[in-house]
Amino acid sequence: MRRITYLCAGVFGALALATVATGAASETGVTPTQILIGGTTPLSGPASAYQSVAKGAAAYFRYVNARGGVNKRRIKYVYKDDGYDPSKTVDGTRELVQQDKVFAIFNSLGTEHNLATRSYLNALKVPQLFVASGATTFGKEYKQYPWTIGYQPNYHAEGTIYGRYVAKTSPKTRIGVLYQADDYGKDLLGGLRSGLGKKAGLIKSKQSYDVNDPDVKSQVAKLKGAKVNTLMLFATPKFAIQSFVYAKALGWRPKVYVNAVSSAANIMGLATAATGKKHTEGSLSIVFLKDPTDVHWRKDPGTKLYRTIMKRYQGGNPNDVYAVYGMSAAHTFVAALKKAGKNPTRASVMKAATSLNVKNDPFLLPGMSVRTTKRDHFPLDQAKLQRYHAGRWVSFGGLFTVR
Amino acid sequence: MPLAFDWTQLVQQTVIGLASGGVWASLAVALVLIYRSTGVVNFAQGEMAMFSTFIAWSLVHQGLSYWAAFFLTLAVSFVGGVAVERAVIRPVERAPELTVVIVTLGLFFVVNGAARWIWTPETRSLPNAFSTRPIDVGGVAFSIQDLGTIGVSLAAVALLWLFFRFTKLGLASRASALNPEASRLVGVRVSWMLALGWGLAAAMGAVSGMLAAPALASFDQNLMQPVLLYAFAGAVLGGIDSPLGAVVGTMLLGVLINLLGTYVDWIGSELRLPVALAVILGVLLVRPAGLFGHVAEQRV
Amino acid sequence: MRRRSLGIVAWLVVVGAVLAAYALAPRLVSDFHSRNLAEAGIFFIAIVGLNLLTGYTGQISLGHGALMAVGGYTTAALVVHEHWRDVWTIPLAGVAAGIVGFVIGLPALRLSGLYLALATFAFAVAMPSLLKKFSGLTGGSEGLRLLEQAPLQVTGLSGTVTVLGHTTTQNHFLYYLAWGIGLLGFGLAWLLVRGQAGRTLRAVRDSEVAAASVGIDLAWTKTLAFALSGVYAGVAGALLAIQNEIVNPLSFTFLLSILILVGAVVGGLGSLPGMVVGAFFVEYLPDLSTRVSNAQGVPDFVYGAAIIASMLLLPNGAGGLLRRLARPLTTRLYLRP
Repeated sequence: MRRITYLCAGVFGALALATVATGAASETGVTPTQILIGGTTPLSGPASAYQSVAKGAAAYFRYVNARGGVNKRRIKYVYKDDGYDPSKTVDGTRELVQQDKVFAIFNSLGTEHNLATRSYLNALKVPQLFVASGATTFGKEYKQYPWTIGYQPNYHAEGTIYGRYVAKTSPKTRIGVLYQADDYGKDLLGGLRSGLGKKAGLIKSKQSYDVNDPDVKSQVAKLKGAKVNTLMLFATPKFAIQSFVYAKALGWRPKVYVNAVSSAANIMGLATAATGKKHTEGSLSIVFLKDPTDVHWRKDPGTKLYRTIMKRYQGGNPNDVYAVYGMSAAHTFVAALKKAGKNPTRASVMKAATSLNVKNDPFLLPGMSVRTTKRDHFPLDQAKLQRYHAGRWVSFGGLFTVR
Repeated sequence: MPLAFDWTQLVQQTVIGLASGGVWASLAVALVLIYRSTGVVNFAQGEMAMFSTFIAWSLVHQGLSYWAAFFLTLAVSFVGGVAVERAVIRPVERAPELTVVIVTLGLFFVVNGAARWIWTPETRSLPNAFSTRPIDVGGVAFSIQDLGTIGVSLAAVALLWLFFRFTKLGLASRASALNPEASRLVGVRVSWMLALGWGLAAAMGAVSGMLAAPALASFDQNLMQPVLLYAFAGAVLGGIDSPLGAVVGTMLLGVLINLLGTYVDWIGSELRLPVALAVILGVLLVRPAGLFGHVAEQRV
Repeated sequence: MRRRSLGIVAWLVVVGAVLAAYALAPRLVSDFHSRNLAEAGIFFIAIVGLNLLTGYTGQISLGHGALMAVGGYTTAALVVHEHWRDVWTIPLAGVAAGIVGFVIGLPALRLSGLYLALATFAFAVAMPSLLKKFSGLTGGSEGLRLLEQAPLQVTGLSGTVTVLGHTTTQNHFLYYLAWGIGLLGFGLAWLLVRGQAGRTLRAVRDSEVAAASVGIDLAWTKTLAFALSGVYAGVAGALLAIQNEIVNPLSFTFLLSILILVGAVVGGLGSLPGMVVGAFFVEYLPDLSTRVSNAQGVPDFVYGAAIIASMLLLPNGAGGLLRRLARPLTTRLYLRP
């Protein structure tokens, strides 16, 4: 009798201890019903168009919450305005960590912005998840910053794809590059050189522009003057469209490579409308998301899901490919969270985020997977080449994997 | 590599510069009009022009032709300019100048925010007013669009000049700017002349926006921000109280920036603007009133 | 006899109240909120500097954000390249910005009003480009990150700061540092404005010709006013760099210059106490604008509307209002037999 009493007491005691222990060990930002994550995004100022990255993700989280959340917890995603100013990013991030006590920083936008907070977050061991920037450093410097991980295929890798393709298919061409004079443009240029390898000498002219320049007319004129016949546009949409138009105005029709940031179907549509089909025909780019303005995906279940979520959960303008990006990042976060188990900690989520193998992301191209390992902090490193033909992008070839 | 000096490149960059300047010229004239009537630089002029451009886009989207939309937008912008003056400038008419400047800065954000809210920040385009087919003259390429842009700017300035010189209303407007007290004494409604100035400026701004959008191939809510800077600089270079000076100033500035960027290598893209601005300051130090401006007499 | 002692007592009460507010404010708000208060203090310093130039000397400057950039980058460069401790760079940052201010002031000798506005505007607009160009020193478009030199900083990653054996949280330290310097700067400006120098400045503001005719050296006065104003802006910029632990061209655009100018005018040009109001206005308005709504364009709209409304309601800024309210008090103070 006594033994049974002792046994019951023991079991009871152990259970009680276990409950207390798990309760006490509850991670910052995690409660039994909610997990709080946060990030920064430009809600005001000239870059506010990029906020759709946050809004798309927010809509996806609302969708997941409506279906019960993850392990009975709803995901609360808070994003603060930084006006695209890195010092406000620092302020907002510190507020999220110190005041709001978020579990992790997620989907903050901007290269300099995430660089500004990286040391702080890593020192405090707060996960800096799925940085919305294509800068290579976020995936490359994982040894020094193990709590940081990027998301999209990085710019250097993209440039490398172009370089390799040109070296293979047009080894005698004269290349000219129009690039934005900041890390984004320079990263792409660096990748191009890398991909060209020994043929880097094919680059005959490099013209840079500053975001505050009103137009790139003189740069395009100089590129034409250097007798370039392959033009790399490492520029944002406004300047990419201008390049097509000014090339036409100068009576020049080079073969054009458009970087992914400016390749959305509606941007290409504007360029085609302004110059005529001939001038955009044959342009090349890479793609990794399902562009909602691309007719090809109209009946695709993934895109339909995207549109449904955007409509029902106030995601904003559904024709914005940045929102698709945000949704894909959110989808991956949910996968990492699920993998981290019933009682996620910052460490366990980070471990899950660096051992991903997600194959069912409905917003990425078919066949693409989100893969990371402890040494590979580049979740998306695949893309397909696509060619612009008769007013539409048509992808060809297989999936490139580039590190 | 050509051994001799590449004249084609020089002429080409000059032509490009003139065409760019042509886009900024109408906005510069708008700034001059406001300065003459209210005595301040309207920092919101560019945003108002951008807003007009979006109105034009909406009209074209509804099915109007470019030119129908153009003139309708001019009318709407005129009314808008008058309304803005009545609503936010008139109450601070007698306040210190800097107060009015701050109001225009506030207006900058209000108009930009409104434009972002009404029309989502997608990149859009306005159809070309003129043909963009390249014309090649001795290796130098330009298009009817470039000529048309310069032409429309000059035509607008000419119309303004005719208005101010040969109509009673124009005379009253000039008088109010020069000597408000005396004008009131002869029965001019000075307050409404200010409103007229703002209306005309808004219309000129609309011209600038509707030329800039096709010239820059696409537009969004950030369209006019760089243009404002160049228009301001060009207007001051030409003499802030002279519309013709504003046109000449901006064209010269356009050429200067392009030539600097082309021929002075260490400048690169980042420094073209600062160097051009430094040159303007140099000019101002020699001729403080700008090329065509008048130095006002200083009373103790 | 009684009037004089009343004046002194009133003074002591005011000074006492200010010091008490300074000492106790952080205890009334959350730890993180002290950071916002600190930032208000930083803006306060820059706004006081601009007020000396524009309110008292009548020289317009649309480029104070760029002067803050000079100060901020001086601090950042010294910390990152020369491994100085962050707070010790503040005086040097002020001096650097003061020198640049002096240089900017030189064209002011020939230009005035609109032309000076363009010159300073051009400086403000060109600053990000200049910062990006000289990337060896400035870190280019990436900027400089002080935190990565953490061990050598007074502030740093530990979250606490120990000064003279007394430990406080980093946020509190930033608050006390910013407002401490702010009150010092305010006191200095107050003394300056009340004395001969102030009269000289105001003479130049009200009529340059008249001032010159009574022997005031316009050149010296204007350039020194620019230089002094620059020192304030430089110190503010240095504090900003220390608080945010980064400097980047994107943080020092023309928008910052506008913000400081708005703060000075809303505070009330020519009124030093009004500057406190101006500082809090520009500190809290952007955040409040985003709280109204997150929809595209609405934060900017609210921000601009608030600025316009404050100008329509108070064309002479808060200082004008304060002056009217305080008239009974100050009349007493200055009625010396």
